[in-house]
Amino acid sequence: MVCWSCEREAGQGVLCAHCRAVQPPDEGADAFAVLGVPVAYGVDLAAAEAAFKQLSRQVHPDRFAKADPRARKAALGRTVQLNDAWKTIKDPVARAEHMLTRAGVDIGRGDHDISGMKTREVMAPPAFLLEVLELNDELSAAKRQGDSVKVAFMAEEMRGKVAETMQLIAARLEAGTPEDLQAAARAVVALRYQKRFLDSAEGSGPGV
Amino acid sequence: MSEALFDISEPGQSRAKRACRTRAIGIDLGTTNSLVAIVENGKPVCLPDDAGTTIVPSVVHYAADGRVLVGAEPRDTLAPEFPRDTIASVKRFMGRGPSDAEATRRLTPYAFAPAAPSEGVVRFAVAGGRAVTPMEVSAEILKVLRSRAEEAMGGPVSGAVITVPAYFDEGQRQATRDAGRLAGLEVLRLLNEPTAAALAYGLDKQAEGTFAVFDLGGGTFDISILKLEDGVFEVKSTGGDSALGGDDFDRAIAEAILKRVGLTSVDAHGARRLLDAARGLKEALTDSSEAEASVDLAGATHEVRLTRAEMETLVAPVLERCARPVRQALADAKLEPAALSGVILVGGATRMPLVRRFVEGLFGQPPLADIDPDEVVALGAAAQADVLAGGANDADVLLLDVVPLSLGLETMGGVVEKLIHRNTTVPCGATQTFTTFADKQTGFDLHVVQGERELVGECRSLARFKLTGIPPMPAGMARLEVTFMVDADGLLHVSAREEATGKEASIAVKPSYGLSDEEVERMLLDSFAHAEEDVKARLLTEQRIEAQRIVTAARSAMADTPELLTDADREAIGPAMAAVEAAAAGPDHLAIRSAVEALDHASKDFAARRMNRAFEAGLRGKAVAAVEAEVEKTAPQADLAARVRDHAGHSH
Repeated sequence: MVCWSCEREAGQGVLCAHCRAVQPPDEGADAFAVLGVPVAYGVDLAAAEAAFKQLSRQVHPDRFAKADPRARKAALGRTVQLNDAWKTIKDPVARAEHMLTRAGVDIGRGDHDISGMKTREVMAPPAFLLEVLELNDELSAAKRQGDSVKVAFMAEEMRGKVAETMQLIAARLEAGTPEDLQAAARAVVALRYQKRFLDSAEGSGPGV
Repeated sequence: MSEALFDISEPGQSRAKRACRTRAIGIDLGTTNSLVAIVENGKPVCLPDDAGTTIVPSVVHYAADGRVLVGAEPRDTLAPEFPRDTIASVKRFMGRGPSDAEATRRLTPYAFAPAAPSEGVVRFAVAGGRAVTPMEVSAEILKVLRSRAEEAMGGPVSGAVITVPAYFDEGQRQATRDAGRLAGLEVLRLLNEPTAAALAYGLDKQAEGTFAVFDLGGGTFDISILKLEDGVFEVKSTGGDSALGGDDFDRAIAEAILKRVGLTSVDAHGARRLLDAARGLKEALTDSSEAEASVDLAGATHEVRLTRAEMETLVAPVLERCARPVRQALADAKLEPAALSGVILVGGATRMPLVRRFVEGLFGQPPLADIDPDEVVALGAAAQADVLAGGANDADVLLLDVVPLSLGLETMGGVVEKLIHRNTTVPCGATQTFTTFADKQTGFDLHVVQGERELVGECRSLARFKLTGIPPMPAGMARLEVTFMVDADGLLHVSAREEATGKEASIAVKPSYGLSDEEVERMLLDSFAHAEEDVKARLLTEQRIEAQRIVTAARSAMADTPELLTDADREAIGPAMAAVEAAAAGPDHLAIRSAVEALDHASKDFAARRMNRAFEAGLRGKAVAAVEAEVEKTAPQADLAARVRDHAGHSH
């Protein structure tokens, strides 16, 4: 890319190699590339956080409050991208989804029609769905009856299942063959249901 | 802004910039008291008045002769006599409409001007037949602080950071920004109060670790969890209640007094006296275990005696409301209280022994006691103002703040689809695609809301807008891509486009409580008679700067891509540019504005071609493109922001 400010070759960094002007974001970069860390599910989170903060210090709009509008625009764009990248990397589920998406695996983020229904969402296996439905019924019944011990027990059990699913996702993503990625994608879809259940059991979910 | 065009990346200028750094001020615009601070010799200090007092009571009196008085005198001598014309705690009305709870509650000393059904702003009816908005009242306080700073610095203020409760919603933030503009301040940033407090504390003590800031002011409660590390102050989570504070303690005490003396209601004078007596008792009980006050109500003088224990019983239910947001903020930050390095107390109400005990109980550790809870917010604001006004400097701290409340859209059935979740670091963006639900649906109604609840009715409505003119298609075929962008101030911008037709609409979300530019201008002109300086001169200066910026931008665009200019462009743009320059030399700011608009119009086609070229060169992406579009508004190609989004959408 040619630097917008000095019109020389800016190089690969966030700042121009020649004049140090902040460069607009590379829209094609994935979250790992934005933070400059190797692509791996078991990413070194401390290193990623350090990179996030160090880059923030360079490109945050606060550093350009009085600068040229083009510099402010570039800084804003960079920072939005940077914040999004760190949000994705630090969260294990978002990180898994991101790795699958960048590997071209459809995890059915889905559209929403204006009626609020999700369309095109990848469905979990019917047996799994049935199990979730039954658990949900059980949970609602326990809540209705004010059985807080049962609710807490169900939440604890689900936390165990979530941990298992996460381990499965991690293992499959580390292995990385196309079959592994497909299996990881199915696990990610299952994880969404499990998390929704957990939210509801822990009290921060819908209807509470 | 004009000089900004020329000061890019010229390291030699850093010395000159340094010299200007003291020109930016930090303001704590509080419910009860306000303060102004500047950075002097590298350290933030609050500015005192002649008597050495740094606090300005946030009380504004409107006299019948048109004078406006601010501070201790209105609070102590004018409020009892003229309760309707003396506005206290105006912050609680910021961003609130006439039907809001705040304007309809019991025990109010104020008279509200009748409002049109559609009107989003509450107005106080005060002496001289005036009806003033909360923004105008706040602007009077800001003007006092501004002139205090100008006197201390011996020159004009270049910009201000104004603090707001972290839990303020979009409407309340916009109202605060408007108040700043009405006071003639360039608002560099709205800074969250707990963040400001942590900044001041962290800088002063060189502290590192994770801290909770418990900020209980006169009218608002905030809780923020921050991580201070390597010069980066990162907000992990925030929560609160923007209608909970010391004022509510006063009300609880006042209601109890009223009950004791056997009355059910009082007039405006009585309400003022009752609230003042309650506040007096509460403050006396901070240090003593028993206090008394006499209050004249309904023609009789009543002696009221209250013990600290009785008072604590009265206010405990109000204080208890702080517990839930604290637990939520800790959960959002994924922290146990024991993991905190310390709890910082902010706000006058935290002086109460009951509050300190309550905080210790919640966090399992005694709060830090070595900071002035009144001054710390203003000091942090000044530090941040200094950073913003100074430009990039490696030694500066960096603040990473978050969105306090989730932002979303209403979908069918009144359900909220959240696009940006609370506690997301700003600036940030998000894009979501929606489809039509009915055959031949030709329009989308977009309703932007803020809040955590699942149903629209339980969230705060921010804005509504429409996207129309979509050709009739079967249900689900039209695809609407909506992009939210929150800038570094926490202000939201929304854009929408239909993918098949490229139809688009966008707004900078001005909640119904915000003011349009025209309203701000009108209010500025209304206050002209009482203004200390020439408002028109200010408008003229602003328009001249704008004119210069636009002409410079247009000229560099023409030099940049001469091959995209047609003869027709040259014929249109050249004279339009000359007209702007001619108008800028004259005294009429409106003439400059229309010349600028004409230039904008004349350069439209050229700008469109430039924009298209930029896309073909590979400008893609969604959220970031919309961000750029927003910034693009400052350039003459303003109306092309839309096309950025058009192209951005196809990368999907």
